[in-house]
Amino acid sequence: MIKIVKRDQPSKVIFFFTPVLAIFLTLVAGGLIFLILGFKPFEALKFFFIVPIADKYGFSELLLKATPLCLIAIGLSFCFKSNNWNIGAEGQLTFGAIVSGGVALLFYDQEGFYILPIVILAGAIGGMLYASIPAILKTYFNTNEILVSLMLVYVSKLILDYLVVGPWSNPEGFNFPETRQFSDSARLPLLFEGLRIHAGIFLALAAVVISWFVFYKTYLGFQMKVSGFSLKTAKYAGYKGKKMIILVFLISGACAGLAGVGEITGPIGQLHREVSPDYGFTAIIVAFLGRLHPVGIIFASLVVAITYLGAETAQIFMQIPKYTGQVFQGMILFFLLASDYLLFFKIKFIGTKK
Amino acid sequence: MNTNLKISNVTKIYPGCIANDNVSLEFSSGKIYALLGENGAGKSTLVKILSGVIIPDEGKIYLNENNLKLNSPLDAKKNDIGMVFQHFNLFETLSVFENLIIDSDEQRESLREKIDTTMRKYNFSIDLDIPVLNLSAGQKQKVEIIRCLIRSPKVLIMDEPTSVLTEQETSELFLSLKKFSEEGILIIYITHKLKEVMQLCDEVAVMRRGKLVSVSQIKNENIESLANKMVGQNLKTIKKKISKTSSDQLIKITNLNFTSEDPFETNLVDINFSVNRGECLGIAGISGNGQSELFQVLSGEIISEKRSIEFNNNYIGDLNPQDRREYLMAFSPEDRLEQAAIPQMAIFENVALNNFKSSNFFNNGLINENKIKEHSKKIISDFNVNTDNIELKSQFLSGGNLQKLIIGRELITSPDLLICFNPTWGLDVGAINYIHETLIKINEQNKSIILISTDTDELLKLSDKISVIHKGKLSKIMNAEEVTSEKLGILMGGGN
Repeated sequence: MIKIVKRDQPSKVIFFFTPVLAIFLTLVAGGLIFLILGFKPFEALKFFFIVPIADKYGFSELLLKATPLCLIAIGLSFCFKSNNWNIGAEGQLTFGAIVSGGVALLFYDQEGFYILPIVILAGAIGGMLYASIPAILKTYFNTNEILVSLMLVYVSKLILDYLVVGPWSNPEGFNFPETRQFSDSARLPLLFEGLRIHAGIFLALAAVVISWFVFYKTYLGFQMKVSGFSLKTAKYAGYKGKKMIILVFLISGACAGLAGVGEITGPIGQLHREVSPDYGFTAIIVAFLGRLHPVGIIFASLVVAITYLGAETAQIFMQIPKYTGQVFQGMILFFLLASDYLLFFKIKFIGTKK
Repeated sequence: MNTNLKISNVTKIYPGCIANDNVSLEFSSGKIYALLGENGAGKSTLVKILSGVIIPDEGKIYLNENNLKLNSPLDAKKNDIGMVFQHFNLFETLSVFENLIIDSDEQRESLREKIDTTMRKYNFSIDLDIPVLNLSAGQKQKVEIIRCLIRSPKVLIMDEPTSVLTEQETSELFLSLKKFSEEGILIIYITHKLKEVMQLCDEVAVMRRGKLVSVSQIKNENIESLANKMVGQNLKTIKKKISKTSSDQLIKITNLNFTSEDPFETNLVDINFSVNRGECLGIAGISGNGQSELFQVLSGEIISEKRSIEFNNNYIGDLNPQDRREYLMAFSPEDRLEQAAIPQMAIFENVALNNFKSSNFFNNGLINENKIKEHSKKIISDFNVNTDNIELKSQFLSGGNLQKLIIGRELITSPDLLICFNPTWGLDVGAINYIHETLIKINEQNKSIILISTDTDELLKLSDKISVIHKGKLSKIMNAEEVTSEKLGILMGGGN
């Protein structure tokens, strides 16, 4: 007989075991789906998860995709740990890309060491500005940040659309919906000749270290933690709960904005309609899969980045639509939520009694 | 037809508290019953069991001799038990009519006719086609009542119905309830307001700490006897020895007012009092009369006019709790698990919630974990908290140990004034004694206490002066020696 018993205290082991379990279950379910579609499951999974990262180029692509995911998820972890449901990172990324792209275009025919820092800073500020909208509406007008941040995603994408088609479109570009190429001084340097991996990865790693330090070692982090658990307690302790809410949104927006900068000044090099394949939304899964912990998020971003690459490989070699990648992302989240049940309950096997 | 509702040996246990301890009660139609008790006495749990929201651990419910299986609110509806909750369950943006048909499978036309008849019968006039958000609180409550009435209930349970009503609406409600009762609906009225019980009901059952304390006829009771039953009377009160009365004033509250936007909160009206060094001022009252608001105003969670609070010759009315702590004030709120401590955090992290500049818990914005841990160990040993693991999450401490930790955290910095709200609520006798001894010791060290409590025994035991709060107003301040629990009972019920 199987009995489900409530746990007294969720153990640390199970806390990090459930994400692994979720990934395993995703692989099993993915295999089943491939089987139903008429593919050999093991071969398909190999194409999906191993082939794409088997060579140097593939590994560089993995890091390239993981960089924005990690950066955004680190920012989101500040929001989620304090119960602020910012799901508009995609919009903050886009707006960060717009602002930094605008600055980069100002310098399109100039070179200079000072250009890149200005462009990066502009992206962070753009993301912060955009994240401050749901934050201020939430704190002062009691609006729901989920709705506001989500809807602003579409607003930012339409703004970008308008700019690249209209005022910012390349005058020599035959009316293609894209801007001029940025000058080399506005581009993040490549790390290796012939590979696309760029210096943006250092931004992500810096974010990991800083976020760990702020959250676990500073008074500010302590106040965020308390405010997240209970606003009543925060008020009683004398912390400024509203400022805390705005602050976590700003941090989150800055990270998403930086991810946007990384994309346009890294692999893309200009603004066009598709600056992000929904990194902002996928990062939500990364944040939870990584247990909102900086180190966890590093691993989670790598795992989820594979689904992007695998989807492309599978499309090329097996003619499976690349949207299978999103199916896998969805399954990871689904199984993660399901296996979180084990955090609070344990399954006991008891000998059958008659 | 006569309705008979019987509750037989109902027990409901939550982790750490017995909400209903072997409660048996019997009700018959034709009378209005009051279920009286303080917040947390277990009355809400009992009516939630009757309405199928909570399933009891033990015990049975009989309606007209039939054993009812109430596994969900739907079962209660099927068995003709109607319930009007304190907080309305209405969709604000839907019209009144849409709200009424939402859980019914009857035809719209026939239902509309039924609603019209019911409204005419009881003289209710509400426009059925306007959205609920345009209604007053009293009208919303009528919509909830109509929702029950159109199902022709045998039992109607009202949970604290007057908390959001005006005087006028309250008397209208009472007229309707009496009419329902005459028509054979069994009415159970849950409240902690004594006057209403005297005005409306025929029989009263009093609950305290999960137990049924008494069942009696209203004609044999008065406000004061009910108040004593409700808060519990313990005759062997030991008063503390009042050693010296200093005249050195520590805190003075002048014309303090608080008006809340939330209809479920109580407004504070013209609060004036002062406390001297070494003194304990007790504030008595039945819960829900403004104690929580008073605590928040004193702690700085609610900020008031700068000059309304004078502490140690400084005006501090506009300071937040953290700034007030710098002036050597300390606070122990009523709600241990949701406010005073964070159950999911470790003991030492909870200790860091009471943070002074001089405590050095945080230096230059960084957490000084060693300092906090050292401090936590001292609290645990000085205040007899029964654990030696300061990394333990505080949810694993018993109520008594958690309260010792909180009081210890507030006191170890030797504040001049401790403000505490129901400090021994729900604790066992040993912990209560320990907390009481600690509070007496503070006074002996010439420090002051403001003790807001709903426990009369506690107040008589610890206070030097006592005042009573009723509907957000403080009575005059009396010397504790002149006060008896009878006198407090009268004042708590709003008498003179």
